[in-house]
Amino acid sequence: MASHLLTAIVFVPLAGAVACALAPSARASRALALAVSGVVLALAVWLVAAFEPGAGMQFVERARWIPQIGAEYHLGVDGISLPMLALSALLTLLAVVASWNVSERPKTYFALLMLLAVGMNGVFVALDFVLFYVFWELVLVPMYFLIAWWGGPRRQYASIKFFLYTLFGSVFMLVGIIALYLHPAGGTLDITALAGRGFPAQFQMWAFAAFFLGFAVKVPVFPLHTWLPDAHVEAPTAASVLLAGILLKMGTYGFIRVTLPILPEASRAWAPAVAALAAVSIVYGAALAFAQKDLKKLVAYSSVSHMGFVMLGIAAGTAEGISGAVAVMFSHGVITGMLFLLVGMVYERTHTRMIEDVSGLSVQTPVAGGLLAFASFASLGLPGLSGFVGEFLSLLGAWKSELVPAGWVVVSAVGVLLAAAYMLSVVQRVVLGEPSKAVAGISDLSLREVGVLVPLVALTLVVGVWWDSLLRYVAPVAAELAKRAVGS
Amino acid sequence: MGYVALIPLLPALSFAVLAPLPRAWRNWLVPVSVAAVVASLGLSVAAFAATWPGGHEAHAQTAFEAVFAHIGGAELAFRLVVDPVSALMALVVTLVGTAVQVYSVGYMHREERIGWYFAALSLFTAAMLTLVLADNFLQLYMAWEVMGLCSYLLIGFWHQQPGPRAASMKAFLTTRVGDVGFALGLLVMYANVGSFDFAAVLHEHAWQPAAATAVALLLLFGAMGKSAQLPLHVWLPDAMAGPTPASALIHAATMVAAGVYLVGRAMPIFEASGVALTVTLIVGALTALVGGLLAAVQHDVKKVLAYSTISQLGYMFVALGAGGFVAGMYHLVTHAFFKSLLFLGAGVIIHAAHTQDMREMGGLAKHMPVTTAAFGAGALALAGVPPMAGFFSKDEILTVLVHEHQYAALAIALAAAFVTAFYVARLFFRVFTGPPQTEHLKEAHVEMLAPMVVLAAITAVVGFAGPALGEFLGHEIPWPEPGVAALSVGVAAAGLAAGWWVYGRRTVVLNTRPLKERFGVLYTALSLKLYFDLTYDNFVVKPYARLAAWLARFDLGVIDGVVNGAGRLWQALSAAGSWFDTRAVDGAVNGAAAAVVASGERVRAIQVGRVQAYQALMFGAIVLVMLLLVVKGV
Repeated sequence: MASHLLTAIVFVPLAGAVACALAPSARASRALALAVSGVVLALAVWLVAAFEPGAGMQFVERARWIPQIGAEYHLGVDGISLPMLALSALLTLLAVVASWNVSERPKTYFALLMLLAVGMNGVFVALDFVLFYVFWELVLVPMYFLIAWWGGPRRQYASIKFFLYTLFGSVFMLVGIIALYLHPAGGTLDITALAGRGFPAQFQMWAFAAFFLGFAVKVPVFPLHTWLPDAHVEAPTAASVLLAGILLKMGTYGFIRVTLPILPEASRAWAPAVAALAAVSIVYGAALAFAQKDLKKLVAYSSVSHMGFVMLGIAAGTAEGISGAVAVMFSHGVITGMLFLLVGMVYERTHTRMIEDVSGLSVQTPVAGGLLAFASFASLGLPGLSGFVGEFLSLLGAWKSELVPAGWVVVSAVGVLLAAAYMLSVVQRVVLGEPSKAVAGISDLSLREVGVLVPLVALTLVVGVWWDSLLRYVAPVAAELAKRAVGS
Repeated sequence: MGYVALIPLLPALSFAVLAPLPRAWRNWLVPVSVAAVVASLGLSVAAFAATWPGGHEAHAQTAFEAVFAHIGGAELAFRLVVDPVSALMALVVTLVGTAVQVYSVGYMHREERIGWYFAALSLFTAAMLTLVLADNFLQLYMAWEVMGLCSYLLIGFWHQQPGPRAASMKAFLTTRVGDVGFALGLLVMYANVGSFDFAAVLHEHAWQPAAATAVALLLLFGAMGKSAQLPLHVWLPDAMAGPTPASALIHAATMVAAGVYLVGRAMPIFEASGVALTVTLIVGALTALVGGLLAAVQHDVKKVLAYSTISQLGYMFVALGAGGFVAGMYHLVTHAFFKSLLFLGAGVIIHAAHTQDMREMGGLAKHMPVTTAAFGAGALALAGVPPMAGFFSKDEILTVLVHEHQYAALAIALAAAFVTAFYVARLFFRVFTGPPQTEHLKEAHVEMLAPMVVLAAITAVVGFAGPALGEFLGHEIPWPEPGVAALSVGVAAAGLAAGWWVYGRRTVVLNTRPLKERFGVLYTALSLKLYFDLTYDNFVVKPYARLAAWLARFDLGVIDGVVNGAGRLWQALSAAGSWFDTRAVDGAVNGAAAAVVASGERVRAIQVGRVQAYQALMFGAIVLVMLLLVVKGV
């Protein structure tokens, strides 16, 4: 089993998807989804326990797949994919529990969630470009349907926009993959083998541009972000959690897995521009979050801002910066997951997401209010909670890096202040004060809902206090990458 | 010295126990919080005793160490380290913390959420102790931010009222402006030294003046936020919306002094810079004077004390800026005692008079002798009258200024001392003398009086411990020099006399006319808080909100407009070529489209057209790139 652990983690959900779709009843379907995602999480925990930090790519599986083009079934996990894979397994389980009361076509719904898990888990362990691309595109389909069928009033527009925009991006990624494959120095689809091949500088610049477009749409980086707020606002809660928690990270994961090791010179050359876009994303996302009246849209724009810190760390290319980037990826998944879950839980009770209509949660529903305040402070980067770890390290790495102009680091640091402004205005208006009309009489969180949030609260605290609980996996790989990419 | 770890751990545990519990349990467990801080006090006394007699040779002892991150070759560690400065600070924090918690049992006993209040106080105490026992700047910063959270929670304790709610947010955001500077300072520090540890940063690293100036000024900016120095002082007066004992602990004695502590700890960097010392001196001197002037026109008892705190913190910065580390720390310690005493007294006064407005008070002395005596002791200390502690520490600061030939700063400090004595007299005479304006005045309960009496006793004697304290910290604190002492006492006496002349004589009606008439323009400017708030509101806060709203329209109209425009263009193109599409598209796509349609959604043909157009684009792009590769021959 251990030698096929990754295959199991990726494909058990596929079996689950079939089972959920064919289940005799809705109850059986969701029970199956729960069982399958529970098993996958257990496997992921096993993986984490058996993983050796700092020992490179592990649990590698290789098999012939499409010999005509040299594509292989090639999986593996290192210190950067491991936390993302574990997070994906956890959030999938929580998404299932959070969707417990889905009444509309539940069998299809849970089958799609399982299918989504296949794609998400697959992206983080695929080491062959064709396989990577297949998983990457596979993710789009269930997410499209989750938004289009279970979404809000503008779901048609939002889902099509999400689908086409990200597809538009992945075309360029495909172009990049083909270019690497066709280039004489490349000639393989093995992602790990392509690292350090020494592609000519000019070729690297073009290839980087292609990959950049593919990944940057997914992240999303300003100005390619406008699909995100629409998709988030219309998506059902569980889809929002996975969209923000995992799908966005696929983009930044691509930068770390593909462009940094394979196109190091281009990564260096483009770093100032990437850093500039990162800084603008941070500040712009924060300002837009501040201007929102819809709570869910606010959280969506805050994602643009936080993902900017990931891009900043990647642009820096230093060990601190890359570690920080991965830490933000992980922690943003956890914290924003909490925020979306809470917004969804409040919406189910009040039937509104308008900030002006919701106030006094801490009086009416102290558990929900307290947890929303907790998540808000985690999101604004309070030290001791996980949000601070990555953002601080990204800034630290960017300042240290010779590739990132100091001015952009200063602009990014101001983003930390702006994050406090929009998050505290949420706390002030939604959590505090007297209960508003919409809030009066609503019930506090159920045990099931608290159960969904508790693991996320615990992770926020553990990573925030003991950074090495996450960094022990990430830092060795980040140092290795930095050495190769930036030579520092 | 393993027990030192318990000093911050006990209050932290009491927070961890109280915070997640339901309200009723939390309220019931308040004694746990008090017991924890009392135990911390006991352990702090032990740590202090173990460090005695301190001095230069005293080595820092690591009581607890845990590495929490390995990053880029550096180890980031959480350490609790005892040296004379941290032992002294821990003692002060737990002493005032205990006084405030005991007092709060009485002051807050009617509050429904008293358990939450004590939980926040405990977390604050733990954070402040973690800060003073830190031996690296990162841990200090992290504790610093957690204290900011506690300050936010306590200012907004009565969050159902709009005032405290707004004040708490203002406090957090204003101090965070400073914190951005602090954080940037950490980045520059790390880039230069590769470590945050005091030993590496302060002693082993040879600072270049430019780098030292950058780091020092950035740290100073952070300190200015936390310690409410001009121009980041605006949050502290508003912070008085919180419960009065919390103000005593956080917004008078301890947290706001953290900025002074930070600059004091970072002194070697400031000294390597030189420029940064001068800036510290200027900021401190201006704040000392302006804070004092603003205190003199407030009517709210707590606001007088808040501006007074700003002014006194300015004094400490003056000391540090002149190179007088130990003078600054000394004043920090004495101020912690007498200012928390004054705040606790203010709480009693407010409870008795049912108002915070001094114009509606009077004659409390007759009915509340203990409070009057204790408050009077604090007031004299603040005014700098011997033998109260404030006299000695203030005198020490003036002495430093004389020795360093900082005569401009000396003049400003003396002017500030005059104003201080003036507003002290104004406060005292208005509240305690004259005709009573409230009925049924009676003395407070013992749990509130006892902490005040203890603090008053400390205030009365701690000044005589100056030389010993100086030796303990490894610097000299001489007895007051007759010349400087005479000057200082003379100024204080003049200020008190002026205050008495205006407010203390029975003939004066209790209103604000005397000052208003004599200093028209200045008075107006001062009563508008010298336009700081108005400026920030009109030139920062509102423009940012407008900018954000404008950007939101820009995002929707322009950036998303481009995306939608591209979508529509595509739609038009694919519609034009639709007859071609229907022939060109193979069965697979039709099948997919049919599946989509069959799945129950009305997918319009145009959307299918878009997907088809995407495929055309995809293949077009691939062909294009392949062509490029061939042509360029790369």
